[in-house]
Amino acid sequence: MERNMDPKRCPMPSQAADVRNKNFDEVALGYTPEMAVNEAKRCLHCKNKPCVSGCPVGIDIPAFIERIAAEDFEGAYGVLSASSALPAVCGRVCPQENQCEGKCVRGIKGESVGIGRLERFAADWHRTHCTTAPEKPAPNGHKVAIVGSGPSGLTAAGELAKKGYAVTVFEALHLAGGVLVYGIPEFRLPKDIVQQEIDGLKALGVSIETNMVIGKVLTIDELMEEEGFEAVYVASGAGLPRFMNIPGESLNGVYSANEYLTRVNLMKAYRPDSHTPIQHSHRVAVVGGGNVAMDAARCAKRLGAEEVYIVYRRSMEELPARREEVEHAEEEGIVFKLLTNPVEVLGDENKRVRGIACVEMELGEPDASGRRRPVEKPNSRFELPLDTVIMAIGTSPNPLIRSTTPGLDTDRHGCIVADETGATSRPGVFAGGDAVTGAATVILAMGAGKEAAKAIDEYIQNR
Amino acid sequence: MFTILERSELNPTVTKLVVQAPLIAKKAQPGQFIILRACADSERIPLTIADQDPVAGTVTIIFQVVGAGTMQLNTLTVGDQLHDFVGPLGRPTELEGLKKVAVVGGGVGCAIAYPVAKKLHELGCEVHTIAGFRNKDLVILEDEFRAVSDRFILMTDDGSRGEKGVVTKPLEELIAAGEGYDEVIAIGPLVMMKFVSLTTKKYGVKTMVSMNPIMIDGTGMCGGCRLTVGGETKFACVDGPDFDGHLVDFDEALQRGGMYRDFEAHAREESCNLLKQEVR
Repeated sequence: MERNMDPKRCPMPSQAADVRNKNFDEVALGYTPEMAVNEAKRCLHCKNKPCVSGCPVGIDIPAFIERIAAEDFEGAYGVLSASSALPAVCGRVCPQENQCEGKCVRGIKGESVGIGRLERFAADWHRTHCTTAPEKPAPNGHKVAIVGSGPSGLTAAGELAKKGYAVTVFEALHLAGGVLVYGIPEFRLPKDIVQQEIDGLKALGVSIETNMVIGKVLTIDELMEEEGFEAVYVASGAGLPRFMNIPGESLNGVYSANEYLTRVNLMKAYRPDSHTPIQHSHRVAVVGGGNVAMDAARCAKRLGAEEVYIVYRRSMEELPARREEVEHAEEEGIVFKLLTNPVEVLGDENKRVRGIACVEMELGEPDASGRRRPVEKPNSRFELPLDTVIMAIGTSPNPLIRSTTPGLDTDRHGCIVADETGATSRPGVFAGGDAVTGAATVILAMGAGKEAAKAIDEYIQNR
Repeated sequence: MFTILERSELNPTVTKLVVQAPLIAKKAQPGQFIILRACADSERIPLTIADQDPVAGTVTIIFQVVGAGTMQLNTLTVGDQLHDFVGPLGRPTELEGLKKVAVVGGGVGCAIAYPVAKKLHELGCEVHTIAGFRNKDLVILEDEFRAVSDRFILMTDDGSRGEKGVVTKPLEELIAAGEGYDEVIAIGPLVMMKFVSLTTKKYGVKTMVSMNPIMIDGTGMCGGCRLTVGGETKFACVDGPDFDGHLVDFDEALQRGGMYRDFEAHAREESCNLLKQEVR
């Protein structure tokens, strides 16, 4: 097969920046079959497959790319789905530049192969062309409960269902999907794609019970002792938002990113007919530099804000968000105030936000995270006039499960302690995803779900 | 699921629903709340549980029609199903070991004060209840309160029923007269809970209040329900909804509660005419 030796990857067709920043439709439009085949031919099929070592769920990347190059798109999907429960999601939201694409040999002297874009292409091809329902595996007679229907829980559910387990996923909200529905916005991950992935799991026999807050309506012990579940996988997600503990954070107009995004994404506050209100802001600052911060900033822009700032205390180099999101945000007119740290939220006489006071920072010596520690520049305080501030600086673990599950060890932050297989201090109770690691990425949560599914299978088979 | 088994109007703006929810009924305790969505596109509404029957598998909620969401809820009738009903959320009110308590309820807050008074009565505690309403037409649960209270004082703002005045007046008189309460439990409008707390603080009587801030998920995720209590940020959904009234920053809670007032008023007017015809 001839190779495509273009050092640059095929660009992703997308909505123009000044159009998309006014709507909630998906930004990236996806490759055409011609583009996908062409991009697939850039893969060198390295023997040692460095890309695979960068994938938390171990997809056989050269194999699926080879199928695309051969125009066997359904075959490519088959390779993906053997390793990943949610390829259409991962192709869109994985930080590929730090994972598979970061290891790609083509990236040394040019741009790496667009692995994420090809993954998305194959998954979308399957979604729009495949009509056959997956075959329901023969039941093996064992019951497993999964707490949380986010990426980690869904992955574990899919893996276990394929092995014949009767899997029930308990979701606290009224809709399944976890962060995929309440957190990540429509324009980055259309909700009908999430729904389709969930429907696929249901077709495999997975039962999803919404409106079930485990730790409240049923405890882990009740699931195991009274409801007959032999193992439980706790994938309950990250939890409550953190604030900076600076003056003014209770003023009207200060949101946590979780609240802002939940209003917009889960409750559809961007639609005029939504019953859930959201502030229609003019000048917004989002504090933080992760994907959640980018999502919140881009939502605010789409809701009509004229000025939207990302306020981040380190520099562009340390910004943890996915590169593509940063580029998209910049293109859409989000202004990056880097090396800037808020010290106070300022209010007017009605206790509404009128701005933030910030100080400028410079980078000093590396800290425990290996990143250079930002230090305040003397006499650098300045004010930024605003009507909305969104705090996107991380979360602390949800207390509901640890406080109702005796014998379940947690660390000093309150995260559940689990080994690399997901095993916790309680036999039969496994945990993974953000509930264990604190806020991380969709794909890491999926990787944990996959590992836990394997460990749960071994645990039950060896009982 | 979540079928409405009974519906009654306690007064022109307050409705009681008995909902089939066996799992929640088994677990619910006084002070806890549920979140419901009336229909598929409805807002999530947090409501404190007014009563539960674990044998019948039912949960009772009492709500006041204030905005578009509760108006929509008020159009549902016996046999209808609530689209979503999740709980029991929050921590139960701590009632064990109390010997003598003043329960202070205000308006529709009496719907939640009642199960607290009832539970205290069952635990053998001496219960003095002070219930306040704007006028005689809005009085709810009077007979129920009388049945579980060793002393019952009814107050109305205009004196059209019971004594005239606000709830803090008899409360202060009782405390000053030497009624040694272990605790005062106040449930009602923020302003009422604020002034009850100020009153009891003077006498050093421990006071618990039930906070009802704006909330979305109610499960410890969004952080919308944050309050300042004793100088610390607390989340009503997982840390509360009950807090020490002497530590709550009520002024901040009042200000944050008004965040969407314009939107709510607008939504009410938008939907008012339509729903009025349907409201029985």
